Amino acid sequence: MNLRFIDWIWHVRGALPVPEGQSGGEALARLEPLFHQMGTSHMRGDDVLEFSKTDPASQDPMAVFDAGTLRIEQGQQGLLLRYRLKSKTLLFCLLAPLLFLAFAQLTIWSGAGEKPKDAAAQAKKAEKPDALPPMNPVDKFLGAPAPEKPKDGEGGGRRGRKPSPTPSYVFAGIFAVLYVVGRILEDRLVRRLFRKALAAE
Amino acid sequence: MIGADAPVTIGWENVSRVEGGPIRRFVFTWFQPFALFALLAFWYYAPNSIAKPSTAIGIGIGFKALLLGLEWVNPRFASWRLTWKEFTTDLFFVGLGYTILRLVDSYIGSDAVAKLILDHFHWEKLAWFTTLPLLVQAFLIAFMFDFVQYWMHRGMHNWYPLWLTHAPHHYITQLNINKGAVGNPVELFLIGLGVGGFFDFLPRAFLLAGVFGLTIGIYQHINVRFNTPRLWRFLFNTTEHHSLHHSQDYEATRSNYSGTFIFIDRMFGTCVDGEAELLGMEGGRRMSIREQMTFPFTEAWKAMREKLGRPVAAEPVSAVPAE
Repeated sequence: MNLRFIDWIWHVRGALPVPEGQSGGEALARLEPLFHQMGTSHMRGDDVLEFSKTDPASQDPMAVFDAGTLRIEQGQQGLLLRYRLKSKTLLFCLLAPLLFLAFAQLTIWSGAGEKPKDAAAQAKKAEKPDALPPMNPVDKFLGAPAPEKPKDGEGGGRRGRKPSPTPSYVFAGIFAVLYVVGRILEDRLVRRLFRKALAAE
Repeated sequence: MIGADAPVTIGWENVSRVEGGPIRRFVFTWFQPFALFALLAFWYYAPNSIAKPSTAIGIGIGFKALLLGLEWVNPRFASWRLTWKEFTTDLFFVGLGYTILRLVDSYIGSDAVAKLILDHFHWEKLAWFTTLPLLVQAFLIAFMFDFVQYWMHRGMHNWYPLWLTHAPHHYITQLNINKGAVGNPVELFLIGLGVGGFFDFLPRAFLLAGVFGLTIGIYQHINVRFNTPRLWRFLFNTTEHHSLHHSQDYEATRSNYSGTFIFIDRMFGTCVDGEAELLGMEGGRRMSIREQMTFPFTEAWKAMREKLGRPVAAEPVSAVPAE
């Protein structure tokens, strides 16, 4: 399978014009400090810079990328910086919804297996008296609402509450949206970072 | 000696204050007490029709979104700014907590175990708790949970097998609102254990107890500069205390173990007042999600092999043990 058709999912590519009067070597020299970060190793040639990152710090402005190549090429209107950056985080974010959908399915299966037990528990519960404890006089005086017998699954306590698949669906949706946001945002941010570095005095 | 390994600030008089105009200073001085009392009043007087867990979940999400906004408006440190990657990673761990961990918890968590024991023995003698004033019940639930959490957390910093589960959480290099959820799932399960399940409380008391966590404990991991009032920081945990606990300085990490009530640390002599900006382990190496998941098991395997006398391939030390 040719990954070229889908690798845009976890790769960010782009090109920027090198400011007039700057040589390829100068442009790469200006970009090089971006790779002086913890967990980053890089190699610079005459017109190419390759880097890889292992566990970059959160404060690294390129922390989202694991590896990449920056190359100086001759364009029609002068020199161009062409880059190709790989991000496992973007790929992970795209796949995360599948994981949460699996959790949803697991929750449904576990709930289905519990139904007979719940019915038995409810029957047992029905035998218990319905009496509620008396309200404390302090709470009566302060005007707190009198307690009611909680309906099934609506108790304030955590005990006996059954997990629902809804949060898994919600998180699957959140990660799908986050992927789109991240793919656009990180593309723009890295472009701005390179442009600023090239233009820096 | 504290501060020997990495820079830390000790003493409230040395902690930076909120900068800006009088409105900004007022808001970031009184926001925390206001939120606490407002939410306590809400749950105390809310009609039964809305005093239910689904409302609490909604309020919790809304409050976190508000705090994310405050992180943007008044950050404590620029180096702790939330990035897309940090937000996504944090949210992944939050997601685990709301989904698979909740599922596991429902079968083997402390409440499930308590339910099993209570159902078996019919220990309804503890039902007198429900006759106490609501706020007392709420405080007792929150205190019991935090007291158990304090010792569990302190145990994690002092006993190697428990430390292995907790170490991944100490690889975070900045504090943000969802960072409390970041860690190995085994730890997240252990830290959620409590004894509250053995006692009967009114449902409303549980909702009120949740307010202590939502409006106090939550500030452990937040990138907001507050002028925290004196009484608040004497009684309650703050982001200042917790940043020291997460600092790159080894001695500083051995302080401030409680989640909500810092007076528990004061009781046992483990409280240190101050703050730190440089956080993490191994000089600030950020652990990947994959390593967070496998760390306790791979490190335990290495330790076992060492103990059994088989040589382990030379590798750099990946974590400073707690002892």
